[in-house]
Formats: sequence, C-alpha cells, structure tokens
Amino acid sequence: MSRLITRTLILVACACWVFPLGAGRYALAGDGSTPPGIKEYKPNISTQEYEKRYKAVYGKFTEQMAQEGNPADFMLDDGKDLFGKVEGAAGKSCASCHGANGEKLKGVAATYPKYDPELKGIDTVALQINRCRKEQMGAPELKYESDPQLALELYVKSLSNGVPINVSIAGPAKPFYEAGKAFYYKRYGQFNFSCALCHVKYAGHMIRANLLSNNRHHADHWPSYRLKWGATGSLQRRFRGCNKNVRQKPEPFQSETYRNLELYLTYQANGVPIEVPGFRM
Amino acid sequence: MKIGTVTAFSLALALAALPAVAPAAGNAENGKKIVEAKNLGNCAACHVIPNMEFPGDVGPDLVASMQGFTEKDRGTVRQWVWDARAFDPDTIMPPFGPNKLLTNAEVDDVVEYLYSIQKK
Ligand code: HEC
Ligand code: HEC
Repeated sequence: MSRLITRTLILVACACWVFPLGAGRYALAGDGSTPPGIKEYKPNISTQEYEKRYKAVYGKFTEQMAQEGNPADFMLDDGKDLFGKVEGAAGKSCASCHGANGEKLKGVAATYPKYDPELKGIDTVALQINRCRKEQMGAPELKYESDPQLALELYVKSLSNGVPINVSIAGPAKPFYEAGKAFYYKRYGQFNFSCALCHVKYAGHMIRANLLSNNRHHADHWPSYRLKWGATGSLQRRFRGCNKNVRQKPEPFQSETYRNLELYLTYQANGVPIEVPGFRM
Repeated sequence: MKIGTVTAFSLALALAALPAVAPAAGNAENGKKIVEAKNLGNCAACHVIPNMEFPGDVGPDLVASMQGFTEKDRGTVRQWVWDARAFDPDTIMPPFGPNKLLTNAEVDDVVEYLYSIQKK
C-alpha cells in the first residue's frame, strides 16, 4: 500500500504538464462510458470455494428450505398443466408440437439464450414461449412475470434439469454477447459501480451481511423463489433489482439489453447443470 | 498493463494539477455518524470499522489501514475518501467527492474520524 502511495507521490512530483481539469479529470475512469476492448476480470474465487462460503453463510436457510419444500414447486405444477392446455385460434397446446410431457424439449433450454435469425438478435426461453403462442397457436402473448408466464418458463426449463448449460456465442451471436459484456462492465451512477466489480472482481467477499455471488451461478437456477420477494421471479426481475440497488434505471423485461445480458451471464455458467426452481434469499 | 500504467500516470498528473486541498480540521464525532449512515458514507458495507455490526470485507480493515498513515498523510487519506481513483483507477470505492455523495466538510469530518481510530 505505502509503495503505491510512494509511487504516486513520485509521479506527482515529476508532473510537468497540466492534465485538463474539470470533466477531463474523470473522463479516464467512471464517467459512465464503456472503455473499448474491456479486459475481463479473472474470477476472484473458484466455484468450489464459493460453494463452501455460500453454505457457511446461507446453509441454515437452504437446509430448512429443502425440508419444507420450495413454494415454486406449485408453480411448476401449474406450468405442466398449462403446457398441455389448448389455447388460441389454431386449437393447439404446447404439447401438440413438443410432446405430451415435453419429451421433445428435453435439454433444449440448456442451449438458450441463442441467436435467432428472424429476430436478428437473442432469443430467450421466455421470449420463445410467447413467439410460439403467437405464431403457432394464435394465442395471446403472456405478460412477463405474470404467474402463467413464469409457470410455463419454469416447466420448460425443468425439462433440462441436470443438463449442463451449453450456450453458443459463435458467429452471429458474438456481437450480442459483446454487448452484454459491455453492459456488465460499464460503470454507472453515483456509486460508479459495475455488475462485474461486485460479481467477478469481489465475488466471495462480504458486502455488509451479503455474500457477493459468483456470476458462474447466476443463470442456472431461475426462475427462483426469493424470500425477499415472497414470490417466484425470473433472472431478469433480479437484474432489475440489482439495477435499482445501485441506482441504475431498470430496463423493461426482455429488452434487447437484458437479453444480451442474459446471454453473457448464461455463457459464464456453461457446464453448470440447470436446476430449477431455485431458492434465494 | 501498459495502458494501466499510463492511466495511473495521467491520473497522478491530474492530481498534481489540482489545487492543493488543505484538509480542514473536521469533527470526528460527526465523521463517525457519516461513516455509519447507510445513506452517507456506509463505509462498513466494505470495511471493518470499530463497533460496526456486519462489516464487509471488500476493502481493508480501516484501523489497520490507518496504521500506515502519519499526520503528514492527511492529504492522502483525504484523497482516498474524496476520490480513490487517484490511487486505483479501477477501484470499487465510490467517488464520494466528485459524485456528490459527501460534501467537502463531510469528507473532512470523515478524515478526522479516521485519525481518531488510529492506534497512537
Ligand atoms: C455493489 C454491489 C453490487 C453491484 C454493483 C451489483 N450487484 Fe448483483 N447482487 C449484489 C448483492 C449483495 C446480491 C445478493 C447476494 C448475492 O446473491 O450476491 C446480488 C445478487 C444478484 C443476482 C442474484 C444472484 C443469484 O444467486 O442468482 C444477480 C443475477 C445479480 N445480482 C446481477 C447483477 C447485475 C446484472 C448487476 C449490474 C446491473 C449487478 N448485479 C450489480 C450486489 C451487487
Ligand atoms: C464498495 C466498497 C467500498 C466502500 C463503500 C468504501 N470503500 Fe474504502 N476501500 C475499498 C477498497 C476495495 C479499498 C482498497 C484499495 C482499492 O482497491 O481501491 C479501499 C481503500 C480505502 C482506504 C485506503 C486504505 C489503505 O490501506 O490505504 C481508505 C482510507 C478508505 N478506503 C476509507 C473509506 C471510507 C472512509 C469510506 C466511507 C466514506 C469507504 N472507504 C467506503 C472499498 C470501499
């Protein structure tokens, strides 16, 4: 530490030209702009070590949960019913195309989000369900974060439970992945925070009484029941929460930014098995 | 790495160009309140601070840190609180001064508090 200070003082002492003051002084860091060619942080903590710490901090709650059962399991049951329910002008249900028990969707959610040429952008499970409803079933789209929407998303994802996430960022997906990464690393707001600071650089540290989670585990368990909400919600609802906590304006569900961000985070979880519904504080 | 050095260098130059902020005498009692208040310093979110519950461990223990500073370093300590980017361009510590999280007088009070927890 003192070496850093000494070095700075030496640099200060030999300063011979004036760096512009005012806005210019802070333009180098933290003016909210994204530096070109972001250098990603190395994960601060290994997955095993993080899981050990998670258990130490939250183990009591998760064990209790395991005994009492996850309230989101009820929603999962509703999702299974909805999957088989005929709706819309075409007289079809999801099961009409994907098999009575969703056989044809086993493992599919593990490859989402993915690039879609029709969208010329990133498709998520939630978005795809609504596209199917509209285009294949002639049924109304479901409102994001509504109970039936979450229930169907949960059911479709549960068909990939235990399957390692395997998301591609090759080819046309690449620029969207890069955009997600840029958002994740962008500094913003009065605190000048970025997502990556808390969830990569300092993952595994305590911020007050909260263990900063490792982003390798952010995309593997949503929708999750969250105690603080007293409800089940999606990963994107959690994005909005973190946005608000650090005083950044939240985006609408399934906005382009959030879909790109979801791709970025899901790619970080490649190889981690899907396990829904999750349970969080 | 090279870019990092250049950035640090430019920031150091920028620092040199600042009008010397002579740290004014602050009020340690008030500083303690600012450090503890969640809507002001909220320093314990990241630092161990005496008598604060559930401190974070993102930053160093501030009692230990203060052992590294003498009275002559008041300007340096003030700069850490005002805007830590002068020392670490990629710091997670919020720029309390420039982003108007704390006023000049409040930063002086915080500095006074930090010297009060220094083991003499
Ligand atoms: C100042 C710290 C901080 C910043 C900045 C921050 N978060 Fe968080 N985040 C937290 C804390 C604390 C929690 C709750 C404990 C935990 O799970 O890490 C959390 C939780 C989360 C979770 C749920 C973790 C899980 O188990 O699934 C997600 C997802 C998340 N944050 C995403 C983001 C995104 C995206 C951003 C940027 C827009 C962001 N965070 C910025 C502190 C932060
Ligand atoms: C979000 C996290 C965070 C918050 C909030 C925070 N700090 Fe820091 N602080 C750090 C980190 C991390 C460092 C280590 C240096 C670095 O990487 O920037 C640090 C370094 C310091 C140092 C220099 C320590 C040394 O050993 O030289 C001082 C002094 C300091 N902080 C005081 C404060 C005070 C006073 C407050 C509140 C007004 C505060 N900090 C709020 C994260 C934080």
